[in-house]
Amino acid sequence: MASETVTVRVPATAGHLALLRTAVGGYAARDQLTIDQVDDLRMAVEEAAVQLLRHATSERIELDVCGTATGVEVRLHAEVAGEQPIIDESSFSWSILRALSDDLAVEMQQRHATIVLSKHRLPHLNEDTEA
Amino acid sequence: MTTQYTRDDTKRLFAALRQTGEPELRDALARLHLPLVEYLAKRFKDRGEPLDDLIQVGSVGLLKAIDRFDLGREVEFSTYATPTIVGELKRYFRDKGWAVRVPRRLQELSLRLNKVIAQLTQELGRSPTVPEIAKSAQVTEEEVLEALESGQAYSTTSLDAPSGEDDDAPNRADRLGEEDFRLDNLEYFASLAPLIEQLPERERTILYLRFFKGMTQSKIAEHVGISQMHVSRLLSRILEFLRQGMEGEAQY
Repeated sequence: MASETVTVRVPATAGHLALLRTAVGGYAARDQLTIDQVDDLRMAVEEAAVQLLRHATSERIELDVCGTATGVEVRLHAEVAGEQPIIDESSFSWSILRALSDDLAVEMQQRHATIVLSKHRLPHLNEDTEA
Repeated sequence: MTTQYTRDDTKRLFAALRQTGEPELRDALARLHLPLVEYLAKRFKDRGEPLDDLIQVGSVGLLKAIDRFDLGREVEFSTYATPTIVGELKRYFRDKGWAVRVPRRLQELSLRLNKVIAQLTQELGRSPTVPEIAKSAQVTEEEVLEALESGQAYSTTSLDAPSGEDDDAPNRADRLGEEDFRLDNLEYFASLAPLIEQLPERERTILYLRFFKGMTQSKIAEHVGISQMHVSRLLSRILEFLRQGMEGEAQY
């Protein structure tokens, strides 16, 4: 399953966030993350999506989830109004995302915002991804 | 709502409504019976939905009852309306959550897996992966995923329903508050402090342990004496509450 990217594109409305969460949860659970980690990632995706939604000017939010050598990476994208990072590093939202993910980045390119989150597999579970 | 409720008023209003069809009369009847809706809605308030929403849903039932009530019947309107209002509330929960739609097989599996997960967590010193759970419970990984997902779905409506099967170690609940959790730790997030204050102590502790102490869900579960799944549900709910709170419409 590792390295196969799954993409989900949903309308940028609150009602569709659950779909993103579910897709990521389903993917991560199949990719050797522990259920704690799966839950963390689901919650992080929801938080990230809420933040994107607040700023989104595009009609859709797109999510890519893929297995990497070390874990599961999620990228959420949307077009946004400004060019400032959409999540302030002093906000509660940022702390939540920090606590829930192992890597976190907010990338801004022109008006395109991407939130990148990842969760690492536990070292000894990394070896047998196809167990 | 202090209007004196009298049967005669109700009868008179219904008679007039049937004759004239005046919307004002329908409204008056609705207002007159709002306390009944409130009373019935309160009976559902422990299922994780804001009371105001429930009252709205109940009011839909009330209006249906008003439109269908036949004065010729030998029953009081309130007697007639009660099942309609309750029916509307029940339907709301059924449509909104999957609580009732999750097949029994999955509910049972979900409960069984809860135990397996607790056991594995203890053995491994961390939460298990899906393959580990599947192996231990002797079911397929897909079944585990299905059950976990249904468990999540279920939790979206009945977060604070009495969770007998979940609190499998109630004797440990008294550990709660052992952590000297102080609000100052969160003061940094000034806008959140008033919201956090509204959370029950257990929820505050969970929030603190997860986001400020970086404790894993399994560790928190052990600490607070509830299952990991329950911690997960509570955390989701707390975050949802905080988010709504920042939009100014929170109710925990």
